[in-house]
Amino acid sequence: MKEKPSSLLLLFVYAGSFLLLLEWLWPLEILTNTERSGVFYLYAAFCFFLAFMQVYWYISIPLKLLGLLFILDGLFIGEQIFSESWWFVLYDQLSFNIEMIRTQEWWELTAFFRSLLFLVLLWLVSYLLHFWIVIAKKALFFIVLTFVYISVIDTFTPYDGEASIIRTFVIAAVVLGLLHLEREFGEQGEGKASRKRAAWSVLPLIGVILIAATGATVLPKFAPQWPDPVPYLQSATGGIGPGGSGNTIQKVGYGENDSRLGGSFVQDDTLVFQAIVRDRQYWRIESKNQYTGKGWEDTLEQPVTSTDPAAIDYSTVEEGVETETFRGFLNFTEEADFQKLVYPYGTTSIGNLDSAIDIALHPQTGEMETRADGDSVQPQRYSLNYDAPSFELNTLRETPVGGDPASIQEKYLQLPSSVTDRTRELAADITAEHDDRYDKAKAIESYFSGSGFQYSTTDVEVPEGDEDYVDQFLFETQKGYCDNFSTSMIVMLRAEEIPARWVKGFTGGEIKDTDAELFDETMNSYDVTSANAHSWVEVHFPEVGWVPFEPTQGFSNNADFYTELDTDSSDDGETEESPEVETPDEQEQGNPQQMEDQEEEAAAAGTGDGGDAGRIIGWSLLGLLLLLGVVLYVTRLRWLAWYYRKRFENKGDAASFQASYHHLLRVLNKKVQKRRGDETLRAYAKNIDQRFESRDMQRLTNQYERLVYRKEDHLQTKDVSELWENLIKKALS
Amino acid sequence: MSQSAFMLNNKISDVIKNINRVMVGKEEVAILSLVSLLAKGHVLLEDVPGVGKTMLVRTLAKSLNCEFKRIQFTPDLLPSDVTGVSIYNPKTTEFEFRPGPILGNIVLADEINRTSPKTQSSLLEGMEEASITVDGQSVPLKKPFFVMATQNPIEYEGTYPLPEAQLDRFLLKLKMGYPTYQEEMEMLDRTSGKHPIDTIDSVMTLEELAAVQEEVGEVYVDRTIQQYIVSLTSATREHEDVYLGVSPRGSMALMKAAKAYAYVYDRDYVVPDDVQYVADFVLAHRLILTSEANFEGVTPEDIVRQLVEATNVPVKRNVSE
Repeated sequence: MKEKPSSLLLLFVYAGSFLLLLEWLWPLEILTNTERSGVFYLYAAFCFFLAFMQVYWYISIPLKLLGLLFILDGLFIGEQIFSESWWFVLYDQLSFNIEMIRTQEWWELTAFFRSLLFLVLLWLVSYLLHFWIVIAKKALFFIVLTFVYISVIDTFTPYDGEASIIRTFVIAAVVLGLLHLEREFGEQGEGKASRKRAAWSVLPLIGVILIAATGATVLPKFAPQWPDPVPYLQSATGGIGPGGSGNTIQKVGYGENDSRLGGSFVQDDTLVFQAIVRDRQYWRIESKNQYTGKGWEDTLEQPVTSTDPAAIDYSTVEEGVETETFRGFLNFTEEADFQKLVYPYGTTSIGNLDSAIDIALHPQTGEMETRADGDSVQPQRYSLNYDAPSFELNTLRETPVGGDPASIQEKYLQLPSSVTDRTRELAADITAEHDDRYDKAKAIESYFSGSGFQYSTTDVEVPEGDEDYVDQFLFETQKGYCDNFSTSMIVMLRAEEIPARWVKGFTGGEIKDTDAELFDETMNSYDVTSANAHSWVEVHFPEVGWVPFEPTQGFSNNADFYTELDTDSSDDGETEESPEVETPDEQEQGNPQQMEDQEEEAAAAGTGDGGDAGRIIGWSLLGLLLLLGVVLYVTRLRWLAWYYRKRFENKGDAASFQASYHHLLRVLNKKVQKRRGDETLRAYAKNIDQRFESRDMQRLTNQYERLVYRKEDHLQTKDVSELWENLIKKALS
Repeated sequence: MSQSAFMLNNKISDVIKNINRVMVGKEEVAILSLVSLLAKGHVLLEDVPGVGKTMLVRTLAKSLNCEFKRIQFTPDLLPSDVTGVSIYNPKTTEFEFRPGPILGNIVLADEINRTSPKTQSSLLEGMEEASITVDGQSVPLKKPFFVMATQNPIEYEGTYPLPEAQLDRFLLKLKMGYPTYQEEMEMLDRTSGKHPIDTIDSVMTLEELAAVQEEVGEVYVDRTIQQYIVSLTSATREHEDVYLGVSPRGSMALMKAAKAYAYVYDRDYVVPDDVQYVADFVLAHRLILTSEANFEGVTPEDIVRQLVEATNVPVKRNVSE
């Protein structure tokens, strides 16, 4: 513990700031998949406590680090803590994530690592708040930030900030009031009388705050005086063109005919169905196998069989793939008119279906027609059970290219003669440095995220004459939507002898409700619109089955991948789930011709589902970090002064003195008078002293001169730090 | 550039006090002359007659208990009038060396540009070599040996201006300047009775002076300062108005002068202020300006000032070592 114990008032203020920080953390639980958020609150409290007690850094840093490790251990690592395998898991996690950061595959970051970063952030924030409030005695900025944060979160997400705003108001008022008292009385010496006076003056403060808060809560309030900004932002960013449901430009949505892809389309946000499920996921309808050079056709001969809704006989994955069982419920609007089942990966049974409806399954494509009395009908609603597959990355990576059964090869390696040599060369180039199937596929998938490709639903060309659709996109336009991206990826995969097929369906939609009740469980409700129509890629892995990939810019693959950490054990506890990929700027779009996609309004608007909320929080955190950066920059002279003082006190050597002295020069330069390059320190010191009417700077400079020009290492530490502190104070005031 | 924040070295301060008792308002020139003396260099004083050059040197000589000699240079002065001459002594039937005025401790070479280059070089040789050659014999000069040469900048008729190479031999070039009104009044006051020079005593012995010169040699010059000196002098060679810049001898001179200046102000290490202060007096007479610059009225002093302003002072410890 240090020389200057913080006062009781400051303790309250600091506790208040902790409560404010909690207001930042509450929404996380609702808006993200953060589980067991309690430990994060606990850790924040722990850091705050250590910072407030002013524990020496060499004690507090190890303590905080230990706490951090314990939390990560409890949450993620199944091994005996600090055992050999424990360290191995830790190392494995860190190296994996660092590699992902290096390759900028943000979505691959594991929950472990994200938690680690979050804990470190809490640590930094606790330190920063301690500096702001206990040392600088300023809280207004943080309070304003808190209000802004809550308002934004309340406006754009399902989080209800009403109670939060009131709590924040009360805490903020108390904190500001107490800080003011601290400044008023804290400086009048340590006299007991003044302390007592301070204590008494807290009472009216609290009284006023309580009355104001109660009044504000109880009194009737006007409705918002401005229109809800969300629809405006959505329309401003959604790119809804004046064409409306234009004639020459197609409207987005699910369509049947994919034989000629390309062309622009307009967005259509008509609701198609509502899905009540736990997680956001892709909705599959069917796949197609034959690429014609202009589009896709289904040429497989498949006996259409009637299948029992209670036991769907269709699976895209082989046995042995890890799955997790979920249930869901779909409710269609009148807009839905495709007479097929929309289903998530791993669907095992359909329930609540109109008893008159038969399911006609196309076993090759996974298309499930709904028929009644021989006619196709559109079901109004149904529930489903599904075993969502998770793909183990090491298994995928161990799969070489080639060795697929002949039946797969003949159907899914087809390429028309229109595919150009340069397309094949590009595919070979991109995948050259990888050997296995997964990494090759991944390389092609991520090729589209850079290299000048642009996601757009307008101004998209249709190939003319004998031009190839993929060649045109890859080398001419580089501008398009999901069909362009997915088709191009498949053609390149096939050129590399990797079987792949084209899948149509819908993306996960937007979250509407976070506590929909279904089967006694709390689920999320998603709205899927015409604009969510989408196409993506499935790649065949002999021992695994069909694995979805997502090449389209701005979309993320909702499939679950994980890495088996301990290959000796099949215990779940020892596997690390990698998160579903929800990139912050997930932005979905569709294609026009027929089955197409969707656009989920740009980031700004997000009325969040998990992804949107994650995105908003991501942006808010980014914004917060940015703000912190700005604040740190603006106040750098002060906190750097503090830092240099501490450093010099601890070390007392020439290097730290030099650093401190130069910091003083920077402060003086900025606040008092600029030193010309040719001005000697002595001359400058004299000028400064004339301004300050003292001789401190000359005395300090004298010491410094001996250090620089005489190579003297012996310093009169005490004098020096006193002089330095005097000068810094004068300069900063 | 005021140096009042510095404290004078004790021994030096006694000398300066003596000079102040005799001279009025000439402390700066006195200190610089001392700097030159302590750095074992010589001074060229460029000024009109009657501003107190002789008095300054005499006071200096008396304070330091030195032998003072004066050579009045005239067009008909011969080298032997400076160095001395061997005369046949009929009693001993041998040639006997009669030392000339150069064999003193402090020599005032008045109006050095009035005499022929041959005679000038007899003095300059002595300044450079610390010995002279008479009748083929080498005669060592006294120690300390300090020449203060003066030249009149006004008269050009019948003068032999010192060649640039010779100017390089002088450590400092100084100007006395006229006293202010008050100072001149004070001067009249002081000299109305007994001349103050007769009232002063010597404050240092020759041995002490030699010891001080040794101490000056030991003043510490940090590498940062050396770098600063070299950046200043090498900058003179690149200035567009300069035809011929400062030679490496100039760099050495700048360092020597800065060391002596630091010593005078009681420091055993050199700070950039020392270098900046003496730079004017050390460098200006070593620069040859282009004829365009001369025509435009640019003076070497202007150039030195510009360069000092353009060169950053080192303010950090040299870490490359």
